[in-house]
Order: sequence, then structure tokens, then C-alpha cells
Amino acid sequence: MNTYVILRRSGWRSPEDLGEAAVRSRQVGDEQMPDDIRWIRSYVLEEGGGSVGTVCIYQATSPEAIRRHASLADLPVDEIVAVLDTVVVRPDPAPVAA
Amino acid sequence: MGVAATSAELANLLEREHELGRLADELTAVEAGSGRLVLLHGEAGVGKTALVRSFCEARASTHRVLIGICDPLFTPRPLGPFFDVASEVGHELEAAVRSADASYDVTAALVRDLRARAPTILVVEDAHWADEATLDVLKLLSRRIDDLPALVIVTHRDDELEVTHPLRHLLGNLVSAPGIRRISVERLSADAVAALAGPHGIDPNELYRKTAGNPFFVTEVLGAPCDELPATVRDAVLARAARLPAGPRALLEAVAIARSDAELWLLEALAPGEVGTLAECLASGMLVPRPEGVGFRHELARLTIEESIPPDRRLALHRAALAALATPAGGAADLARLAHHAEEAGDAEAVLRYAPAAGKRAAEVGSHREAAAQYARAIRFADSLDGQARAELHRRRAAECYLTDQHEDAIESAEAAIACYRELGDRLGEGRSILFLSRIAWCPGRTDEANRAAREAIEILEELPAGRDLADAYANLGTLLRDRDDRQGAIEWATRSRRLADELGEVNIAGGQVISLALAEALYGTPGAMERLQDAAAEVQLVGSPDLTSWGHMATARAAVRARRYGIAQEAIDAGLRHVGEQGYLLWRLYFLSYRTRVELDEGRWSEAVETARLILQERWISTLPRTVAQTVLGLVRARRGDPGVWSALDDAWALAAHTEEPDRIVPVAAARAEAAWLEGRDDDVRKLTEAAYQLALQRGVAGFTGELAVWRRRAGILEPAPASAGPHAAELAGEWARAADAWRELGCLYEAALALGETDDEHTLRTALEELTALGARPAESIVARRLRRHGSVPRGPRAATRENPAGLTRRELEVFTLLARGLRNADIAERLVLSPRTVDHHVGAILRKLGVSTRAQAALAATRLGVLEPER
Repeated sequence: MNTYVILRRSGWRSPEDLGEAAVRSRQVGDEQMPDDIRWIRSYVLEEGGGSVGTVCIYQATSPEAIRRHASLADLPVDEIVAVLDTVVVRPDPAPVAA
Repeated sequence: MGVAATSAELANLLEREHELGRLADELTAVEAGSGRLVLLHGEAGVGKTALVRSFCEARASTHRVLIGICDPLFTPRPLGPFFDVASEVGHELEAAVRSADASYDVTAALVRDLRARAPTILVVEDAHWADEATLDVLKLLSRRIDDLPALVIVTHRDDELEVTHPLRHLLGNLVSAPGIRRISVERLSADAVAALAGPHGIDPNELYRKTAGNPFFVTEVLGAPCDELPATVRDAVLARAARLPAGPRALLEAVAIARSDAELWLLEALAPGEVGTLAECLASGMLVPRPEGVGFRHELARLTIEESIPPDRRLALHRAALAALATPAGGAADLARLAHHAEEAGDAEAVLRYAPAAGKRAAEVGSHREAAAQYARAIRFADSLDGQARAELHRRRAAECYLTDQHEDAIESAEAAIACYRELGDRLGEGRSILFLSRIAWCPGRTDEANRAAREAIEILEELPAGRDLADAYANLGTLLRDRDDRQGAIEWATRSRRLADELGEVNIAGGQVISLALAEALYGTPGAMERLQDAAAEVQLVGSPDLTSWGHMATARAAVRARRYGIAQEAIDAGLRHVGEQGYLLWRLYFLSYRTRVELDEGRWSEAVETARLILQERWISTLPRTVAQTVLGLVRARRGDPGVWSALDDAWALAAHTEEPDRIVPVAAARAEAAWLEGRDDDVRKLTEAAYQLALQRGVAGFTGELAVWRRRAGILEPAPASAGPHAAELAGEWARAADAWRELGCLYEAALALGETDDEHTLRTALEELTALGARPAESIVARRLRRHGSVPRGPRAATRENPAGLTRRELEVFTLLARGLRNADIAERLVLSPRTVDHHVGAILRKLGVSTRAQAALAATRLGVLEPER
């Protein structure tokens, strides 16, 4: 599998909508395409006016697998970029408690 | 019951509640009406068999349970597991596996049986050893599993499947099919190992470290406790066997040599007088009862014992097995087993008696890989044979290797056969073999060799009285020249073939050439040729062979794709796929899929196109033409969407196509590479990427191809005169962009239409282009058009911003269509109202339904009310 960054800018009108999308995403990924796609982590973006977007890190067998996953889980995709290398300087900061 | 057997059962079923629970869930789903095929996988010795057996035993009284096992033979018995279940299933399946029928009939019989009964649990064990016919049955079964009342459990190892393993292709095929589930069987945890080690007084940490929690290894160690724990599984097995007295030990060796389930009558012959010690072997836990006799509890143990037998004793055992199996106690002799023991016994005469017969039998049921291996085995012992017999073996092996895409081996064998015939002075045999070489060299793209051999075959066969082979040879050269777009040569040789076939009364060859001639004309747009081709294809369906029917559909699809007549193409592809599906022609299917992915791409159905391309790429066939098309489509869709992985796909396609001199292979790849470079803003590379292909297209005079490449060269800023004929690209080359866009829309090519609009200087038109590209998801082209708009001094409202204005994410144009659709207008009316082509409206409606997540127009209308997008009618 290769690692990809997926941009989903302004994908949802509210964090609640995003929460529902995350459940669908997980379900589709784990149940229907476990050999094709692995969700690693996401960063939720503040997009203004209460809406949110994401930058997601996935591992997948191909960009098409990411698009198939997005279409099955009803997630937007703006751009898919292949990750060449990873440089971890510090671990991710602990998520802010909701 | 001894301690060993108890710990074996324990080790195999510890920590398996989760897996057993999942199997039970799947069975519940089956009982509720959705069939399941479960792939149960894990490393060797992890306990897959024990898990499945325990699951099945608990249900033996409530369900019908069928178990088939794949043998670990180098050349497995074709359809082995279905032999195992045939006697329980019924006459139809029994007849299908015993006769010379293909996997398709076995599947059909199995499906009919499964449908006719209450839920069945069908287990196919050790699929990593399955022959191809068995894998084909599983593949066919998986395609319809969701509506069969059956839980099919396929167990396989996942730790030693090399990339070319046939099972891998099956697994790839199953990825997205409905009703397929995977269950991974994991090793034991340190806690579980400790629990097992406890009663034996063995250091649990040491045991876990040595065995890594592999249940088989753990059991072997516990079965032969000694002061020092054995370091490897092998040592553990040998230590355990060493505890047996000489009698049972001899019996153990006999069972190891027999490989598959060892029948008791066979053991009588291999270990005379020792069968009475069987109880001791069973009690030791190393052997277990099997339906037909006895076998090792695990293949790892059998292998270890087999390897430990001294060479002289091994030879004697194989000789005894050979003699005993030649006259089996009941039923027919098993040729694959006989051939195996003959080779191991070094008995050349027996190998030459059994291996070719086993090969013939395997070929008849479609296990061509096994057939090829049996012929190869015979060839290893063929020194004593005369030239004719050796030539025959090479010829057969070449044919089987060709069918399994082992092209290098096929070519090697064909050349060996040619050499044999030449030595014999058998000109007919030589000519035929050279003709065959010409055919098989084409598949991996060795077109020069194919053309040379085609002419050589004709030279030789023309010395002899004209016959069927010469008509075949003429047809072959015609085909090769057609694929190089040598129109005259194609027509000349097809005509010769047809005349000769008519004289000889060879209706199938003659019928094939009628189609070939119509195809040669249709490929160059001769008026009326497409209709003649369709008529010829329809006619052979009534009178011709199944091959000829396939060829009719294929030729029609090919000509229609090149002429961009997608309706005709789609019809021929659908009919072709149905037909080859019924006939089980797996290689032909790939060619039809390669046309389908191209049609889907051209019509802007990109997700479908990449899905079809994936089907092609995961197949075991490596015939290069379908693969070239699939990689081209994949690379192009990625480029058009702005996704990564463009050049790995396109470079692979180019490597396969570049040296073939066939425009059908070369031009689409060159055009795709030019487009990808243009989308990346690398205009300077376009000349280099298209030069050779453009010269080839000009030289062969294929209008559609020259036009396509000329357009990319013009877009990249290369100033040169337009080619004399440019097919549907002529309007673009003349700078008539609006007319070009209309023409593309009429053909159904939405992306090409939008690109043409994007070349205009009119702001309104550019905005339309932008919207259409957004609807297609063509991000890079969208940016190019947006830049052009900006150059014209207007600020493109980012399509994304425009899209966000309405809740369902529809574009402005889609919103217009949506509003009219919600008011109940038909597509044709919408097209008229908005001055769009009906195809464009179809496309928009599709996008709207997709974005709304609904499947009917009525649901869409309801959604319109809900979303408040429906303005009151003025």
C-alpha cells in the first residue's frame, strides 16, 4: 500500500456532519475494503462560518481505491497527493477535548 | 486418548471464539437469504483446518456439510476438491467432474444442486494447492454467491503466495464482489501458549519464543517433550517420530510417500505387514483418519518425514506405489499420481506412459497449467523417443503454455517442435508449428517475430497440396497486417484465405474471413462497411462455431470503438461478454473488457472505466494488448482527475506498446502521454512524446489517429500543417471550437467537448467549459481553462465556490436541469428547453442523482422539495 494525503476542503457544514461522515468512512473502510484502504489519521480544518474540512492521511492500494471509498462513504475529495516520505519531528499534539 | 492428541485439539481451538463467532454470523446471513464465500486465511500450521472442522462438526446434524481438499501435488489432480464432494452431491456434478467437461459445467451443476436444497456448508480446503480448473470454479461461484443458499468456506495459506501464484488472481478478483468475507486466523497469544505449556512443565516463555505461537509447532513440541526444546518445526516433528518403534515408523514413511489421503490397500503394498500398527500412529497424533484412508495431521509433518527418508528406501517406496496404483483396488487409475510416482521412481517408461495421458486429461477439464507441467515432465524423460513423438510432446506443451500465458515457455517449446519436424523432414509439421509460433509470438507483443514466422509458414505450406493449414496461414498473415494498419495487405491475404477456404469447404475459416474483410474496411471508415460487418457478425451467430461468434462481436466492437460509434460498440461488447462468459473463454473476455474500458473513458464514465481496467490488470493473463489499454485508461483517468500515479501506468503501457508497430497499441498511449504532459503544463515534452506515433499514424493513414495526435501537438504550441484527414478532430484543427464541441457532444464524448469549448475566446463559453469540467471532476483541465478566463480579464468564480452555494453541491447547469427535472420534464424536453444535446442532459441527470444519493427521478424530485431548490413556477 502507498500513503496518500487527501484534501477535503469545506466538506461539511458542521462538526456534527463530519462526525457522521467519520462513522461511515470507518465502516466502509473496515468492512468493505479492508484490503484496499487504511485510514491513518485526519486533521480537521476550520473553514469559516461553522463549516469544516479535513486533511486525511490514508494508506491505499491506488488512488482509485480512495475514490471508491469516498464514493461509498459519501465523502468529498478535492485532491489526492501521494506521500513520498515521512519526516516526523514531534508526535501529533494531543487532540483537543471536545 | 493420549496427552498429545488432547493438546493438539486444545492448541488448535484456543482463542478461536472470535473466528467461530464470525463463521456463525455468516451462516446466519446465509440462512436469511444472502450467500457467502468466506476466505479463511493464515500461515501454515495456524489451525485453519481444525477451526473449519470444528465449526462443521457442530453443524453436521443440522446442515449439509461438503468438504473438498486440494492436494499438495506438484501437478494436482484437476478439480480434486469437487471429486471429493461429487459423490455426495449427485449425478450431475459427478458426471461433470468425471467427464471431459470444463469448469463452467462443474459450476453450473454445483449451483443447481445448491439452489435445490436447504443451506449447505461447502468447504474447499488448502486452496493454495488448487489446480486452475478448481480456481475457475471458485471464481465463477463467487460471482453469484450472494444469491445462493450456501456458505462456501475456502481456506488458504497467506504466507507463501508468490506474486504469480494463480490463487492471487482469484483473490484479486474477489475484492469487490458482494457476499465475499475474509477471516484471518492468527497465531496463539503468549497467554494461550502458557496455558498449554503448564501441564507439561515446560517453560512457557521459551516455548512461545521458539514457536512464535504457531499452534502446529506448539503441538509438535508438546507431543515430544524432551529436555531441550527443538529449535525448528522440523526438529520437533522428527523428535516425535523418533519415539515410534520401527513398524509404525515404516508405516509413517509410506503415508508420507503416498502424499494425498493414503488408502489402506495402498499402504498394504508400501509397508507390507505394518498396517496393523496404524492404531499406534493414530494414537501418537501424527496421523489422522481421512475419508479415503489416513493422512498426516498436517502437511508440514508429512513433508518433514518425506525428506527424512533415505534415498534408496524412497526409491523403493515410489516403485511400490507406482506398481500398486497402476492396478488400483477399485475405480480408474489416477494418472496424475501415477506420473508423480513414475518420475520419483526414475522410471522413464512409466513417465512416458502416464504423464502425457495425465496432461491430456488435465487439458480436457481446463487445468492447462497442470497439463503443461505434465508434458514438461514427459519431455524430461523423452530422450529415448523418436522425433515424431518428441515433436508431439513439445507441440502439446507449447499449446498448454500458450493457454496459460507462459509465453516464454510456449515459444521455447514451439521452437523445439519446429526443430524436431525439420530433422524428420516433416514439412507439414514444420509449417504448422511455425504458424503456431507466429500466433503465440504476437500475444506478448513480439510482432516482428510473428510477421516473419507468418511468411515462413506460408512459404512452407505452399510447397504442399493446398489444405486447411494454408488457409489458416493466409488468414494469420492478414490479421497481422491488419493490426499494423496495412490495409491492402490485410485485404489481400484475407481474400486469399477466404477463396481457398471456400474451395476446401472450410466454412468456419471462410466465415471468419468474411468478418475480417468487413473489419478491414470498417477500420478505415469505408461507407457501409460497419453495417456489412454487423450483418456478417449476426450471420455467423446463426451458423458458425462459438469461436466465430466471439470473433464477430469482437470485430464489431473494435471497429465501432475506433469509429467512436459507442452505441454499436456497447451492444457488441455486452453480447460478446455474455457469449464468452457462457463459453468460458477467459482470454477473450479480457479483450472485450479492454474495449469496454475505452468506451467508458470516452463517454466520461471514469469510475466505471477504472473499475473495468482493474478487472483486466488483476487477471492472470499477461497478453499485452488488454493490459496496454487498461494501463492507458488508468493513467489517463488519473491525469484528468489530478490524481497521483499517472506515469507509472502510462510508462508501463508505453513499454508494452512501443516496439509493436501497431497503431492500435501505440497511438492511444502516445496521445495519453501527450495529454498528461499538457495537463501538467509540460508542453515542451509533447513533441518528443508523440513524434514516432505521429509519423506512424501519418504513414498508415488512419484519420482518427492522425487527428488526435495533431490536436495534442497543436495544443502544446507546435506549429505545423494539419494532416489531410483528421476524422472527428478536423473541426478543432480548423479552429472551429464551437462546432467541434457540438460534434463531440453528439458522439457522447463530454470531456473532449468541454476541452474544445475551453479553447474559445468567449467568456460565456469558457464558463460553460469550466462547469462541464467541474461536473466531470477534471481538476487540471479546469485550472487550465480558469487561467484562460483570467487572461481574458475576468475572474473565474471558482467552480468550487459556485458549487458550494447550493446544498447538494450541484453546479449551476445541474441546478437548471434539476429544477426542470423536479417539475417532471423528460430529458428530451429539458434538452430542448436548455438548448443542450440529450446526451449532455443524460449526463447531468446522472450527476444529479449521484450527488443527491438517490436512484430515481421521483426521489430526486422529493429531494428538491426538501432542499428548497425548487423555485415556484413563474
